Amino acid sequence: MSAEAQIRNYILENYLFTDDQSALDSGDSFLDKGILDSTGILEVIYFLEDEFSIKVEDTEMVPENLDSVNNIVAFIGRKSQ
Amino acid sequence: MTAAALPLIDRFTTIAESYPDKLAIADASGQYSYRQLQESIAQVAGYLTDSGLNKGDRVAMVVTNSANYAAVFYGIWAAGGVTVALNTQAKARDILNWTDHSNAKWLFIDQGHGELSEILRRLDQSVELVSVGEPKPDQSTEGHTLWTTITQARSTMPKMALSPTDLASIIYTSGTTGSPKGVTLSHANLSANIDSIQKYLQLSSEDSILNVLPFYYSYGNSVLHTHLAVGGSLVLENNLVYPHRVVDRIANEAVSGFSGVPSTFALLLGRVNLSDYDLSKLRYLTQAGGAMAPALTDKLLAALPKTEIFIMYGQTEASARLTYLPPAQICEKRGSIGIAIPDTKIEVRDKQGKVTPPGATGEICAYGENIMQGYWRDTEKSAQVLKDGWLYTGDLAHTDEDGYLYIDGRSSDMIKSGANRISPKEIEEVIQELDCVMEVAVVGIPDEMLGEIIKAFIVPKSDQQTDKKVIQRHCKQNLAIYKIPKSIEFISELPKTASGKIQKFQLQSKEKS
Repeated sequence: MSAEAQIRNYILENYLFTDDQSALDSGDSFLDKGILDSTGILEVIYFLEDEFSIKVEDTEMVPENLDSVNNIVAFIGRKSQ
Repeated sequence: MTAAALPLIDRFTTIAESYPDKLAIADASGQYSYRQLQESIAQVAGYLTDSGLNKGDRVAMVVTNSANYAAVFYGIWAAGGVTVALNTQAKARDILNWTDHSNAKWLFIDQGHGELSEILRRLDQSVELVSVGEPKPDQSTEGHTLWTTITQARSTMPKMALSPTDLASIIYTSGTTGSPKGVTLSHANLSANIDSIQKYLQLSSEDSILNVLPFYYSYGNSVLHTHLAVGGSLVLENNLVYPHRVVDRIANEAVSGFSGVPSTFALLLGRVNLSDYDLSKLRYLTQAGGAMAPALTDKLLAALPKTEIFIMYGQTEASARLTYLPPAQICEKRGSIGIAIPDTKIEVRDKQGKVTPPGATGEICAYGENIMQGYWRDTEKSAQVLKDGWLYTGDLAHTDEDGYLYIDGRSSDMIKSGANRISPKEIEEVIQELDCVMEVAVVGIPDEMLGEIIKAFIVPKSDQQTDKKVIQRHCKQNLAIYKIPKSIEFISELPKTASGKIQKFQLQSKEKS
């Protein structure tokens, strides 16, 4: 499964409570769409650290890295280089 | 009229004339001086007056923290109205319910609010809807008054004489469909509390604060008013999702104050190394909104040795604040919520209404100019908590020999999660709407970060299939995000007394064990 699919499925299952892929656009802002709050974003970070074996530094906790599926995919790509 | 009793809108006018060019509010859209804010307030007030607002009319608002929020809030007061500031995370059903319950004649709502189209569809036609902020190019503007209609209009402040006893605000503390609880506060209530807070925090026009607390809750409400009443400045940061950005702004804006709930500080200490930042201008921190673990206070003290930390306690029913722990006592009185704020009396009373001796647990009771008028149109509930002018808080505590208060628990079953106070009944009502659910009980269970998280125990109907996702999806559709149960357990029956009352304490103790 691609990283994008893994992240999408995690968000759909845990925050939108559905497996309907059309419920989430990969460009949707988690904050603007009310999908995640501050504890939700921490849970996403724990998920990313576990699933992709990366360490998210405090300074990397910015919307450019974490506020949408697309941003996370790009962030993981950069971290894995 | 004494200065203390002067309505906050009148104080604001005086302050705006004294400090016209000083920064009042900085938000994501820009920086606004007292003069600019006063002009916006006058425009909102002018619009409301021209639209027929009579003194005492309620005006509901669903507006995120911003300069616009202050303009609408104070504009309502300037026109003689009563503010009904609603939770911006609430769903349409709650917003409509509160608007209807308060009999509001206007509803100001953020142009980009996710529930706007649903609200427009279902709003009583007698309520005028005003969208706040610039409309997006593709957004329909049908059926509501545009913000630009207000901001392009005249800006002469109406001459509305307010009395201290006039009703100023209604703050809803729960959205339970059947019986919303609206705390009614007079101008004197709010003025008195703001005065007390200013005294012990020693706030002046030199102060500025980075604010993350929602203004629609009484804690954030008091932060807004205390600063605007002295000529201070508010720098707004609307979420804590990215904690190091918050600390970055505290440092870069060189603010003197920061206020949070326990989870705010847990998040900041957990994700940010505060010693990496220059926080030398940060004079004080305040903490309220639930008991903070003494160990967390110790960590804050160690991380910020030169910053005064005010531990506080209060209730919406008391305008906001009831007690504070003087920073000098924070080590000696570890775990205490302190003493009564200036001009307020606090007693711990037993079930017979007698003051308890030191060490004995009783109910915190409070008396002062800051105590609410009652619950909106609910004399029965009002009489349960207001007796001979005293507020019975429902919170349990004891005092030490020096009169310092220590919280022992709560007698109500409200859940405190992060900055939110949540009625379990409201969540139970929503879950109960599902056909697959026979019975449900919702409780708060301990959580290191949030204080409590929400857990739902559900007894499914024997012939129905269901799973956790169905429940949570239904909650997401009908409840604010912070009210969705994090944990759901299906059980065969709920523990009950012989008379059939659900024993929630058993469910909670099951979790603790």
